[in-house]
Amino acid sequence: MTPLLEFARASFSYGDRPILTDIDAAISDHDCITLVGPNGVGKTTLLRLAAGTLVPEIGEVRLRGQPLQSLKQRTVARSIALVPQNVEVPFAFTVEQFIEQGRTPFLTMFGGLRPTDRGAIEEAMDLTDTQTLRSRVFNQLSGGERQRVKIALGLAQRPELLLLDEPTQHLDIGRQFEMIDLIHSLSRRGIAILASMHDLTLIEGTFSSVWLLSPGEVMRKGTPEEILQPELLERAFSCPPRHRPVLVERIRGRRERVL
Amino acid sequence: MAKEIARTRAATPPETEVARQPGHRILVGVLTVLLVSAIIVSLGVGAVKVPVQKLALSFVGRDSLTADQRVIILTIRLPRVLAAALVGSALSVSGLLFQGLFRNPLADPYVIGSSGGAVLGASVGVFLLSSLSVAGFGGTAVLAFLGAICSITLVYSLARVNHRTPVVSLLLAGFAVSTMLSYSSYFLEVLDHDFGTGLRVLTSWLHGTIAQPTWGQLAIVAAMLLVGLGGSVPLARRLNTLALGEEYATHLGIHVQQTRIAVIVIGSVLTAAAVALGGLISFVGLIVPHMMRMLLGPDHARLLPVTALAGAVFLILADTVARTVIAPAELPVGVLTAFIGGPFFLYLLRKTKQEALL
Repeated sequence: MTPLLEFARASFSYGDRPILTDIDAAISDHDCITLVGPNGVGKTTLLRLAAGTLVPEIGEVRLRGQPLQSLKQRTVARSIALVPQNVEVPFAFTVEQFIEQGRTPFLTMFGGLRPTDRGAIEEAMDLTDTQTLRSRVFNQLSGGERQRVKIALGLAQRPELLLLDEPTQHLDIGRQFEMIDLIHSLSRRGIAILASMHDLTLIEGTFSSVWLLSPGEVMRKGTPEEILQPELLERAFSCPPRHRPVLVERIRGRRERVL
Repeated sequence: MAKEIARTRAATPPETEVARQPGHRILVGVLTVLLVSAIIVSLGVGAVKVPVQKLALSFVGRDSLTADQRVIILTIRLPRVLAAALVGSALSVSGLLFQGLFRNPLADPYVIGSSGGAVLGASVGVFLLSSLSVAGFGGTAVLAFLGAICSITLVYSLARVNHRTPVVSLLLAGFAVSTMLSYSSYFLEVLDHDFGTGLRVLTSWLHGTIAQPTWGQLAIVAAMLLVGLGGSVPLARRLNTLALGEEYATHLGIHVQQTRIAVIVIGSVLTAAAVALGGLISFVGLIVPHMMRMLLGPDHARLLPVTALAGAVFLILADTVARTVIAPAELPVGVLTAFIGGPFFLYLLRKTKQEALL
């Protein structure tokens, strides 16, 4: 069966600095995948390639077998939603107006929002529990609220695949758990998810597989048990060896919590 | 509670977009009434006063004006009032477009360098080609128009790097080109052999004076305004999406470059139309969209019609004050808008600092 999204020997570099080399990977329906790796290794770039906003220099990214390059971005955005790390909005848009932007790929040049668009927006707000925020100004929201509203914009696109760039970044521990629960519930609704994460303790129990990007190495893919190994992580994140006990402790803590 | 409201809303979907925002509709109505009243009032004001009741009655077909009054109103005041309406509307809408494009509520139609080109063009018109006339417009207006279009084209091509046009380089190129062009008009002033006559003409133009237009000129500018407004309709919603940033807008399927070029072209046509009738009138394109944004929020689709109407009302009133306040002399309306706009701008600047909101 053709996967939902497929990287076929995709490579990308900024100028002459190669970022991603020969990425081969596939996302199938209902997958819930997390992307981990050190800062600057290319997690955001990989998400952008998946969303079609960047085009690989070599190789292809395919949506249900069709190269993203051959599709209009509008068409891509009806199947794939990318929720970026930071969104700066210069004007006082309300949460509702902000989420409405998710319907952009469905609108005609002169037409306004139709009942189906309204439906998608309401559903997105229900799923992310942002109904009560609808008349608030986006710029005045707290970090956790802002994150949920950004995801609501992505869900308003009614995507098959949701790409999340560091969804738990800058959130307090309570909001992090909320976010993990949200990812969990979206995954159960059948939306495929690829999320980059920094906090390794939040991974197990939520994500079914892990992609580990390590500088100068082929991307590793596997279950959380397979990938979250002290030796692998130590190498990928170039942790100083003297901190190894702490690293092991963290991963063991995770194990004990799960079991 | 909010959820309940949402449910009822979802249950009765076939409402149109506009119907859901009564505030927007009311404002369009109020502004239309204001526009008609502003026109009637300003027709009556001047050296020869005509009572408002008489004017209003003649509008509904019960004409009791004297022949003199009719001549004054129809041939002198009406064209001028309509010109003010067109200029105010064009400047306000282009201000709205540029603010959306630059994602900056403090941008205005002159920000990317159209004014420098307009000044140089106008100087050439005043000092070298004062006998030129195209389609009923004098040399000053025509060359100011061409100057504005040329300098924007120059700025845009200078700011373009690797098929992209970063906003910062647009603003910087705009500033540099505009300053260079407007100061180069000094060389033309030296050529003035009439001991300052041309300079006086140029100065009055630079200060923004709505001259007495012919019907032909009004028709051309009205056509440009209509084209500009029509072209802005499909752009308004895209400007909302563009507010999320270039990358996000691209992801959502907006052609960012095409949209930018379209906004610049339409904004420039509107600015040039205004320049042709009124010279450089500052701050209108900044204040009016801003006041409307305070009332209605930042949705460009909703702001477009109210900004067009409010701009017309604002400049009709300003021009009426400008031509009567120091009668029998006239104040350039640009001086008046600068006096209103400057403090308002500074107030906004302070307010933005506190709230980071706009």
